[in-house]
Amino acid sequence: MARGVGILFALLLGACATPPAPPHSVPEAPGVPEPQAQAATAPAATAPAATAPKKPAAKPALAKAPAPAPTPAAQAVAPMLDLKSLEQQLKATKAIGVLTKLSLKNQVDDLLEKFRSFYAGRLPPSLTELRGPFDMLLMKVLSLLQDGDPVLARSIHASREALWGILADRESFQKLA
Amino acid sequence: MKARDAARSALAMTVAFLAIPAPAADDPAQRKDLAAVIALNGQACAEVLSYEEQGKNDFVATCKDGNRYRVYVSDAGRVVVKKLGM
Repeated sequence: MARGVGILFALLLGACATPPAPPHSVPEAPGVPEPQAQAATAPAATAPAATAPKKPAAKPALAKAPAPAPTPAAQAVAPMLDLKSLEQQLKATKAIGVLTKLSLKNQVDDLLEKFRSFYAGRLPPSLTELRGPFDMLLMKVLSLLQDGDPVLARSIHASREALWGILADRESFQKLA
Repeated sequence: MKARDAARSALAMTVAFLAIPAPAADDPAQRKDLAAVIALNGQACAEVLSYEEQGKNDFVATCKDGNRYRVYVSDAGRVVVKKLGM
């Protein structure tokens, strides 16, 4: 149970830790690599919104020495660091009971199995067909959280596309699994 | 004779006590959890009115519409929801 719930939390919270990426096209067939440029531009696109209130304070620092661009390795590692704390947050939430968490874990496992099949080359389902079950599962999670833990629910909702990005990208998915 | 009667009535009382079904537990959080699980598994249950604990992770829940469901965790670690009827 712990491993499955861990995967669920890693999935959900990994997305929370990642800034919401703009909608992008996803590979329709296994083996088609997703453009790396999209992943690289995602943090930049959301950065102004995140740092907007602190803009005046940040200006002098930028004038002195521009911050080095994060390397691809750093981008990949950063969300993993946040995963831990956010995983604990979801584990600790009182909005979902133990049986519900276990049931959700079952459904996440089922969905992950479908993705594994997809990446193993077994079709159907295609990636497009997997979007429906993904959205439905996320909807269930949100409906369970929105009353008891609205902050976490909003965070997950805002991360929907980033979460899908993890699942829809072969490399990200394999790292997760 | 009196001793035999006393033994009989003690036995009858014990049997009667054991025959009384366990009262339904009433933990609101557990009821909410059961309702969520039933709904997650595609069954309609707006609210669990009461439930009985059959064993560890094994419940029979009665929904507001009168339907009863057995909710338990299988050996494989899956949450199973079985409709028992009204």
